Amino acid sequence: MELKEVRIPAEIYEKIEERIKETEFESVDEYVTYVLREVLASLEEEEEQVFSEEEEEKVKERLRALGYLD
Amino acid sequence: MRVFVIGLDSAPPELLFNEFDLPNIRRLLRKSIYGPMKSCVPAITIPAWMCMATGKTPGELGLYGFRHRKGNSYDEIWIAHSLMVKEKAVWDYAGERGLKSVVLGVPPSYPPKKIRGWMVGCFITPDASTNYTYPPELKREIERVVGDYIFDVVFRKENREEVREKIWEMTEKRFELVRYLLETKDWDFFEFVEIGLDRVHHAFWKFFDENHHLHEPNSPFKNVIPDYYRLLDREIGKTLKLLDEDTAVLIVSDHGIKRMKGCFAVNQWLIEEGLLKADLNGIKPGTKLESVEVRWKDTIAWAWGGYYARIFINVRGRERRGVVRMSEYDKVRDEIAEMIRSIRGPNGEKWNTKVFYPEEIYPVAKGDKPDMMVYFDDLYWRSAGTLGWETNYLLENDTGPDDAVHSEYGVFALHKPDIEESKHVQCTIYDFAPTVLNLLGLSDVAETLRGNVIG
Repeated sequence: MELKEVRIPAEIYEKIEERIKETEFESVDEYVTYVLREVLASLEEEEEQVFSEEEEEKVKERLRALGYLD
Repeated sequence: MRVFVIGLDSAPPELLFNEFDLPNIRRLLRKSIYGPMKSCVPAITIPAWMCMATGKTPGELGLYGFRHRKGNSYDEIWIAHSLMVKEKAVWDYAGERGLKSVVLGVPPSYPPKKIRGWMVGCFITPDASTNYTYPPELKREIERVVGDYIFDVVFRKENREEVREKIWEMTEKRFELVRYLLETKDWDFFEFVEIGLDRVHHAFWKFFDENHHLHEPNSPFKNVIPDYYRLLDREIGKTLKLLDEDTAVLIVSDHGIKRMKGCFAVNQWLIEEGLLKADLNGIKPGTKLESVEVRWKDTIAWAWGGYYARIFINVRGRERRGVVRMSEYDKVRDEIAEMIRSIRGPNGEKWNTKVFYPEEIYPVAKGDKPDMMVYFDDLYWRSAGTLGWETNYLLENDTGPDDAVHSEYGVFALHKPDIEESKHVQCTIYDFAPTVLNLLGLSDVAETLRGNVIG
């Protein structure tokens, strides 16, 4: 996986360092990547709301019966 | 020049060009440039039809199948739909120049997009009670012309007689609607996709193909596939009569089809190799991975089944309980890929298995991509994601009757007024968009796409 550098204020960096003590995150990089991914995913999710819950279930059931979701 | 596109989902060159008595299609081919058309990777209905329409790769579209992971989740998915296609399709480019299009059932086309022209939803439309047309008023016209419109027929049922009847009804209605739109709308570009051919292939292949391992020689269904091709030929013949001589006609498919040799239980294999840790005690054959307890903290990789397999690596900092360090990602992935390529068949025979890394095969790999995409034995072996089987090699599909798998080559045929003799061509799915744009007089746009103009 190709990695690139970004710069963040020292103050935020230190806050994260503090925050990840005794968590599964081994580095600030890992934590920052994780948080950014979550944020981006939630933004994309907003665009994705096309099917109502009931419709989505209907479509999933059909696609499963058609062999696309095995 | 007006352009009319007949899309036949899963039509393989071997059958459409050479088999059966298909007078109307053959007549068209005699004055066409035609040949096999290489599909995208993965060779699946979604994304293939949109790769064709946009000239872009699955990576550029960020579409790798019908479902995708939601933000690196282990179990949440989103289903592909039309709004996830952000790239312009040929009808969008045409619309910018004032040309009008009819787009009917080109997957994914639900929800229908606002285009310069008319759009009708494809088979991912939840049902006919939704707004499945653009403009919305078109729906009433459809109901008036064909009654209850049929988007798709679920084929994985034991009652095959019912499946056959329903597919015939669906296809007849579709062509009736095509002819209605063709005659009443003022279009420059027209494309429709008939999904029935794919459903017929999957549901009836073993009755038709003598080489299929479950072939039933004297089944009452042995002629369903040939009969369906003849139905298509008649309907296409009736439709072509309504077009004037100055219209270019294309016949295309998104991928081909071939006999399924079996299903390979990929998650079961990953467990055997120690890459996936899950509690399998007391589970029934066919249990889904989501239904068992996976020990994610000890899991390196897991997979999704389907016509092709998607493999995901459990990456630290990416997956919630990831274990593979980013610095080891490339090494781990290469090792797993090598293990996958060395998998042999049930009798120790060599397989022609292909492993693809998304960021290597596309100019860019957007969206929720898998870490690897796998064609087991060049797609002859479907990938089963389910667990609890006695063997990793299943002779029947794990999720309901299905006899066929996809093949990489679909069809391309282009007939236009100045073609007097047939000519053979080999092309790729990426050549479709520039070819159509060129016919519509948009050669400047055609030049910006990667594919070649045919003809």
